[in-house]
Amino acid sequence: MARYGMALNYKNCINCRACESACKEENGVLLLPDHYRIWVGVKEAEGEYPNISIASQTYHPSQCQHCENAPCQLVCPTNATHYSPDGMVMVDPTRCILCTYCINACPYDARYVDQRTMTVDKCTFCSDTRLANGETTTACQATCPTKVRVFGDLDDPNSEISQLLAKHEYRRVKEHLGTKPKLFYIL
Amino acid sequence: MNAISLKNLFSFEKTPLNLLMAFVTVALVAAFFAGAVIYILHGHHAYNVTRQHPWGLLISMYVFFVVSSTGLCIISSIGHVFGIKEFQQIGKRAIAGAIITISSGFAVIGLEIGHPVTMLIYNVLTPGLTSAIWWMGTLYGLYLTFICLEFFFLAIKENHTFSKIFGICGLLVGLAAHSNLGAVFGFLISRPSANGVFYPVYFILSAMITGCYLIFLMYGFKYKMNFPEKVRVMLVKLSKILGMLLAVLIFFEVWKILTALYGDMPERAATIMHAIKHPNFWFGELTLGMLIPFVVILVSNAQAIKATVYASITGMVGIFFMRYGLVHDTLLYPMTTLKRAEYQLAPSFVDYFPSATEFMIGFGGIGLSLIMYYFADKIFNLDESEETHH
Repeated sequence: MARYGMALNYKNCINCRACESACKEENGVLLLPDHYRIWVGVKEAEGEYPNISIASQTYHPSQCQHCENAPCQLVCPTNATHYSPDGMVMVDPTRCILCTYCINACPYDARYVDQRTMTVDKCTFCSDTRLANGETTTACQATCPTKVRVFGDLDDPNSEISQLLAKHEYRRVKEHLGTKPKLFYIL
Repeated sequence: MNAISLKNLFSFEKTPLNLLMAFVTVALVAAFFAGAVIYILHGHHAYNVTRQHPWGLLISMYVFFVVSSTGLCIISSIGHVFGIKEFQQIGKRAIAGAIITISSGFAVIGLEIGHPVTMLIYNVLTPGLTSAIWWMGTLYGLYLTFICLEFFFLAIKENHTFSKIFGICGLLVGLAAHSNLGAVFGFLISRPSANGVFYPVYFILSAMITGCYLIFLMYGFKYKMNFPEKVRVMLVKLSKILGMLLAVLIFFEVWKILTALYGDMPERAATIMHAIKHPNFWFGELTLGMLIPFVVILVSNAQAIKATVYASITGMVGIFFMRYGLVHDTLLYPMTTLKRAEYQLAPSFVDYFPSATEFMIGFGGIGLSLIMYYFADKIFNLDESEETHH
């Protein structure tokens, strides 16, 4: 079985947010406030004119980190949030009771209430819309003009993501919480 | 059980206080059902909860009710479980109160959980054993069963052996359930201001305080402040227990706040500082909930029962702010610290104010408690059997 993760060359991000649109289109995410599976965080430039640090303005694409030790999975009272065989954190809508405990527990703000199913929704790495059809990329990766995202199998040493992580330093978000996130930000 | 006609059930002495209570009760019950209809029509859109603040007033009120229930159960057990004679008289009334308040809590949470029927099914089929909510919900279900059986053997078919057995079971399961409710917040590793051992312990302590306040209110209302000697003696002792519990709570709170602020740890210190600056904390929780009752008890050496009854009103208002603060303060700090759109300010502390529907359902739950208590007082003999004058 694969162990899917994603590496992000986040310094290449130009904040076009094509990924956000592609995600919404691919996965039918409603155009409502609070409805987003992925987003681009904007870190504003530091300093005062004329001494503004251009390098400090960065963009941070983010989404569910598909943690190996996911707090949202631990707190789910009905195991609606579970790990797929490929190591992805998934939500089973038939079992979700909409207690929203997982939304409170997620340190990454990756979850929201889907108004269509009235259950909690989140990034699935396009597993049902693309991976199930034999695709090897996610919608956000396929659409990215600057090739920020690299999705793949972390257990396959020859995969693009494994090669990338072997050659570059990276950081993970809120790693100190012990969540073992599988989104890697290439430094 | 008293034989009672429908006419008797709805007739009461028309004193101004009784009429006021009747009006408040009917208004709150009406608000609850109106809120429930709005929720059924509009779902969670009727609430002001958001992705960043997914829990709101209804969770606070649920906690408020189950804390009241556990508190009444613990305080009642002083008499009929631990055998302290003076407290045996409160057993039935307190257990009735415990059943009533937890039922109101379940009514409120039933309108907050999106799929309560799915919950009943999958709580059993695919239990999440690492989830504090699962343990809390399951144990509270068991607790309600035990205290109902306890009440049955106390008030309907008197059997002291069975009532004591179910009383002990109810107490132990109630303590476990309630500390698990604390763990629902304490286990949140994503929320440094809540994470840790404090809440599971503090929940039990504040439950006992809530139980004392409610006993004072129930007896103050029942005897219209003219307490028989036996009741007065019990309330003086209860007042001393309450004073001690408040002292411990204040001590706990001081150290919780100092620990949170010390060293200026990211997220935790800023969140707690933001919370304690808000009037909800320093006026609601601290002044109304702790200091006023504590000062009344301290100054009067626990002898001023009437003043303690009045202080219990401010105490319960303070307990409400405690529960509201528990939920809101836990969710204060934003989980994404970067802005997502160009013309957006960088995220800061999350705002939340309950919607009208949330107020209707949440406070309407108090109406449910009041009306159930009124009926329970009419239908059952809630005092010690030998003192019955019905």
